Amino acid sequence: MATISRTNLEKQLNILDYALSSLWRRRLKSLSVLLVFAAVIFLLASFQMVTQALTDKARQVLVHTPEITLQKMSAGRQEAIPLAYQEQLAGIFGIRKVVPRIWGYYFDEVRLANYTVMGMAVDQMPEGARLDTALASGAMPGPDEQGRAVIGQAISKALALEGRATFSLFRPDLSLKGFTVSGEFSSDTDILTNDLMVMSLADARDLFALPSGLVTDFCIYVANPKEIETIAKKIAAALPSVRVLTRPQIQKTYQVVFGWRSGFGSICLLAALAAFVILAWDKASGLSPEERREIAILKVLGWETSDILAVRFWESVIVSGLACLAGMTAAYLHVVYFAAALFRPVLMGWSVLRPELQLAPRIEAGDVLLLIAFTVIPYLAATVIPAWRSATVPADSALGG
Amino acid sequence: MLIELSGVSKIYNQGRANEVRALTGIDLGVEQGSMVCLKGPSGSGKSTLLAIIGCIFPPTSGKAAIADRQLARLPDRFLTLHRRETIGFIFQRFNILPELTVLENITLPLLPLGVPPKERRQRAHELLERFAISHRAKFPAGQISGGELQRVAIARALINNQPIILADEPTAHLDTALSREFMEIMQQLKEAGKTIVIASHDPLVFDHPAIDRTVTIKDGKIHVS
Amino acid sequence: MPRLPSRWCSPCATARRCAEAMRPAFLFFILLCLLLALDGALLAAGRSRSKAQGASLGKLAAATSALGLTDLAVATEARYTRHPAVSDPMAPFMDHPGAIEHFPTGAFWRPPSSH
Repeated sequence: MATISRTNLEKQLNILDYALSSLWRRRLKSLSVLLVFAAVIFLLASFQMVTQALTDKARQVLVHTPEITLQKMSAGRQEAIPLAYQEQLAGIFGIRKVVPRIWGYYFDEVRLANYTVMGMAVDQMPEGARLDTALASGAMPGPDEQGRAVIGQAISKALALEGRATFSLFRPDLSLKGFTVSGEFSSDTDILTNDLMVMSLADARDLFALPSGLVTDFCIYVANPKEIETIAKKIAAALPSVRVLTRPQIQKTYQVVFGWRSGFGSICLLAALAAFVILAWDKASGLSPEERREIAILKVLGWETSDILAVRFWESVIVSGLACLAGMTAAYLHVVYFAAALFRPVLMGWSVLRPELQLAPRIEAGDVLLLIAFTVIPYLAATVIPAWRSATVPADSALGG
Repeated sequence: MLIELSGVSKIYNQGRANEVRALTGIDLGVEQGSMVCLKGPSGSGKSTLLAIIGCIFPPTSGKAAIADRQLARLPDRFLTLHRRETIGFIFQRFNILPELTVLENITLPLLPLGVPPKERRQRAHELLERFAISHRAKFPAGQISGGELQRVAIARALINNQPIILADEPTAHLDTALSREFMEIMQQLKEAGKTIVIASHDPLVFDHPAIDRTVTIKDGKIHVS
Repeated sequence: MPRLPSRWCSPCATARRCAEAMRPAFLFFILLCLLLALDGALLAAGRSRSKAQGASLGKLAAATSALGLTDLAVATEARYTRHPAVSDPMAPFMDHPGAIEHFPTGAFWRPPSSH
């Protein structure tokens, strides 16, 4: 019994040897297929790793997002919400705190950059006192301080302050509003604060020329987090034309913001599909006379159909396995050590302010298996069927001239 | 009798419009240790007869016993296993795979048998030395001369110590000197106890003194002159 | 190109002889082990980088909760890719009801689902 198993093992090793030699003999073609395959897997794995890393990062930081964010809607668009709603909100049982904010986007026409400008009374926010720990230098402006702002790293670079502590922004009437930099956000928080400019509520109102009595939104905090949905419904019922965004909803946005159904994801999948169709067509387009001759000779020399199939199977496994390994390794290097540089054009587009992405994808067995299922298995299927056809070449075709 | 054929017929595509009767009523016996030549023009059925003797496919009708094994109704897998152990083939044009080395070509029949590499190399080197081509062991087979190719083909047919050697038009593409050399090697193998069947219409083969019997095949039948 | 002295060539020649003596399956197995070892080393290095980055989580948490942040600041070209969680569904169509996506990041960041 042991001898039979040993012989079987030796036979499989012999077949593997033959498959490797066969690939080596056609090394140019084998390498080309491997590279194309690896490139496809690199693309898919990179996309999967980048989106997973960003989703993970969002999941980690957005647990601290406000429990409820309240906006006002008109004709399907967001508009400024009356400050007076704050009193009505205070009357809803379960709401612990309501903090108004004025925030929006400032387009710097010189630098073609969008800044996110946020005005609020930071001391009213939970953890507001801890915000200084997120700064690389300086401090948050006090509640009564005007004309002072904390800026993100990219804004600091874009404004090219170089020792200066002041800058100016245009109001809507094109008059200038001056600011003094009171602090800079730490580069560790780039992924949240890179394009952020934080100032007092009054300064933001002045900059955006927002009429008094209006704010952009409210951050609402509840006494019992388990009651978020209930309180959200109460708010929607109590106030007209509002949009109530709960923390779970915001978190859910980031679970689905990336996916294979996005434009770029679909392109990656289509490219993979096209590559596989080409590979499969090449395999299925029949045997060359040399291949038929080789199979016929092997059969006459005592090779069974199953042995020949095993050779083709091992060839496919070796090529697809190595391609998978190479593709995924390259994808990991690309995402972790090169911050997904090849995807930056779609990840950040025309953005001028770009954070340094420090992505840390989790490599899980499930993800690896899924990638293998979508790449290696179709390739094996695309090669095994023609291999079966090839293995049925009659042995006697080797006889005669 | 090591090879016994009785009333053997072979019909390709039986029952279809392109049905071809390749062999009809073949009776043939080959004793152990003898050398027989199958003589006939191309299309006479020599290759088909060789394929049946070589356990490549069974006859359509009749009895074929090769080394005490009846071939009729034997499934393809068992035919292959029997062929591995019993038959060594020498093809027309030798059918060596040119990209493989001489050593790899010779040891091809041993791979599906699970013979380990060391033993394969040992057996191959013994044959390479016997045929004086050891110095070509690592050469790609496509780069050796015709005479050396011939010896490689013979070595491959002997690697598993099969008792029966079948050669299909082995001298068709060889010059006179190489054809004579081939027949000398066949004679040596016959003297060593091998049973040899050669299909050829080359006078250098069927007129060779080592040939015990010549069987003429014409239109799929044995022609008795 | 100058020929290297034979003492430099001998390790290569030795390696080539060893490779020729070993069966292909064994060589392939060694290659596989080397690739897997490389992957293991990369994963380990990646994990230690993640741990180092974990130290910044406290600062990120402080920024998020103190400012009520809802989105990552990655794609700043359009408001619906800068703030996908809180943008209104009309934002991608701000120019025209049937507007075709023209921001590159719109191909990567999916439009907000209607709440």
